[in-house]
Amino acid sequence: MAGRDIVIFLPDRLRVEPGLMIEVEDLVYEYPTARALKGVSLRVPDRTITALVGPNGAGKTTLLRCLAALEYPYSGRVRIDGRDTTQSPREIHARLGYLPDFYGLYDDLTVRRCLSYAARSHGIAPGATSAAVEKAAARVGLADRLESKSGELSRGLRQRLAIAQAIVHEPKVLLLDEPAAGLDPQARRDLSRLLLALRDGGMTLVVSSHILAELEDYCSEMVIIENGLIAGGKAIKVRDDERPRYMIEIATKRSDLREFLVGRGADVIEADQIHALIVFTRNPGARAKLIRELVAAGFDLSSFGESSKALEDAYFAQVGRRP
Amino acid sequence: MNPEFERNVWLELTPRRVLMMAGLLALTFFAASLAGGLGWGLSSVASLLYYFIVVVWGSRNAAMSVVGEIRDRTWDMQRLSSLGAGTMTWGKLFGATSYNWFGGALCLALIMVNVATQLGPVTAAIEFVYYLAIGVIAQAASLLASLIAVGRRQAHSRLDLFVYQAVGLVAALVVYYVWSAADPVAAMLSHKPATDFIPWWGRSIDARAFLLASVAIFASWTLLGCIREMRLELKMRNGPLVWLVFLVFIGLYVAGFDAFLSADMKSWDAISLRLLLALTTYAILTYLMVLLEPKDRVHYRWMAGQFGRRHFLTALKGVQAWMMSYGATLLVGGALALWLLHDAATAMAGQALVLATLGFLTRDVSIFVLMQTLPGRRRGDLGALAILFALYVLAPAILNGLHAASAMYLFFPQLAAPTWLGAAAAWIEGVIVLGLAVTRLALVERSGAKAAA
Repeated sequence: MAGRDIVIFLPDRLRVEPGLMIEVEDLVYEYPTARALKGVSLRVPDRTITALVGPNGAGKTTLLRCLAALEYPYSGRVRIDGRDTTQSPREIHARLGYLPDFYGLYDDLTVRRCLSYAARSHGIAPGATSAAVEKAAARVGLADRLESKSGELSRGLRQRLAIAQAIVHEPKVLLLDEPAAGLDPQARRDLSRLLLALRDGGMTLVVSSHILAELEDYCSEMVIIENGLIAGGKAIKVRDDERPRYMIEIATKRSDLREFLVGRGADVIEADQIHALIVFTRNPGARAKLIRELVAAGFDLSSFGESSKALEDAYFAQVGRRP
Repeated sequence: MNPEFERNVWLELTPRRVLMMAGLLALTFFAASLAGGLGWGLSSVASLLYYFIVVVWGSRNAAMSVVGEIRDRTWDMQRLSSLGAGTMTWGKLFGATSYNWFGGALCLALIMVNVATQLGPVTAAIEFVYYLAIGVIAQAASLLASLIAVGRRQAHSRLDLFVYQAVGLVAALVVYYVWSAADPVAAMLSHKPATDFIPWWGRSIDARAFLLASVAIFASWTLLGCIREMRLELKMRNGPLVWLVFLVFIGLYVAGFDAFLSADMKSWDAISLRLLLALTTYAILTYLMVLLEPKDRVHYRWMAGQFGRRHFLTALKGVQAWMMSYGATLLVGGALALWLLHDAATAMAGQALVLATLGFLTRDVSIFVLMQTLPGRRRGDLGALAILFALYVLAPAILNGLHAASAMYLFFPQLAAPTWLGAAAAWIEGVIVLGLAVTRLALVERSGAKAAA
């Protein structure tokens, strides 16, 4: 048998491009009164957190519902983990967690029973339910509230419970529609940590919001949707842990700032004679070398730091206008 | 255990509620026994309570099982579960009504003890099946009505909920009325003889066996209807096969009752009467389904696209029940018109009426579709019903008032002079309205595509 390759032919619906979890091709969705999505195409890599941003009414929620196989597209195709939403909706539902913008909980049930129901209805065996419930509760910080009735929880805790229900079956994809709406700053920070932990645990997340600041902390990719279309036509990489964004500022104008940075291996996103937004390696030695070279080349370096508004910068760079 | 059933039991059968139901029923039975003694008096009270708890209250809870989830915004989470349509349906149907069935079981136990003591175990077993069936039919009909409304994205007000409950109550009333004719207990209490035999397809069949089998079969169809509507909610496509099988079943079932018409329509032979019964049933189903089903232009364009690309099997999955019922009506109507040729006495008039009926049916279903393409389509069905009211009630009344009754053939199936005129008028109207509906659909799509571009 040595030297012989074994070739397995998979049906088209099961062929998955390595590293790709969500694939949308020319998606059109129509309500009886209006066309909400007008040919959306996007690709979401595995184990990433993608921000779905855009103004109110742009089509974000409709797109999420199409991704969740809760709505049939009029035309086009949506594939989640290689499965087509129109052909295998229930297989996709089993692999997916979804938190809608307006969600409900069973107020008369305890947290434990809410999570048990979510686990069992997602096919977790009765013997494994208790462990799954406790794991999900611990992940969202509700381990000490398992016997509380969900109707007695605060808004932040209800949000956590809703997320726990969506992840109790360890889905491959988690879709969240405006998850931080109405949360206080501490709860938002907790949410951000949780989403990063879920990504690190192997999930692919798509988070919709029209508030860029709340997505800043955890999103690595961004899709801008406007009037039912992807603005710019494709997803944008906004965060790379290995190559973050840096904002450089010099005190004296130099027209060769962009050219100099490109020559030193930086990816320049935006640059004028005083500022530059670049993508560069996180390696401290390499950064120190770049700073030394800037100074040595006579640039009046007044600031060099990791950009804290990467998402907003990328959004307005793509959309082309600021408020 | 079915997770959906279990969740409902957690919510419904709390110890406090169980004790309250058991205590209240025990007190009521005790009071009834003091007032009227044991026996039929107590059994009647238990029967009344059963109807209230299982049929009236239970059908409301069955309707609430989905409507309540939508109202409380938990429905999307359920739709995203991996539960199958059947599991979800029975979990809701019997879970949301588990409290009602608990109370009903206490009442039923008392009824059964009395019937078994007075009329024997066989009658008690038959009564048991009847009580179970009437409860299941009422609740399943309410759930089905609510699921159909969910598919139409209708509002879920208290009035809507009452309508779904009313559907269940009407279904239960029909079962009650039909069963009462053959029920030995009802006969004994009302001192009227029970119907022993029912003529069906030329045979006399034991009435109780026939009605029990009928009730069980219709309960099964109603449950199947719930599962199919639930499949649609879970984004699974339904093929046309089940509705086609139902059409064949209901056509054959209804056609068997020709003996009930033969006295009034002596000039019609048995085959004509059977075809007429099937035709009438299919026409009623067409009206009912075209009113109930969503007439979504996006769906119709999708279907046209699939047919255009010769993806016939995919397109057939989108064929709606009203379309199949309409097709069955045309088929049976055509067969009846041909069959009537063999009898010169009924040929012309009968054929003209049948063809006029098919023409007006075409006009009426086209009105429903057309109204969905007009501005304000959310109230399209109401508009279509208003037009039909004008055509079938107001216009004839006005014609009568003007002493122009001879022109009635323009509005509904009516004999005209010459005989073919009524059918011709009906089909001309049908084709015109159908053409208008198709044109409007095409125009709306063209303007939608332009706006998108």
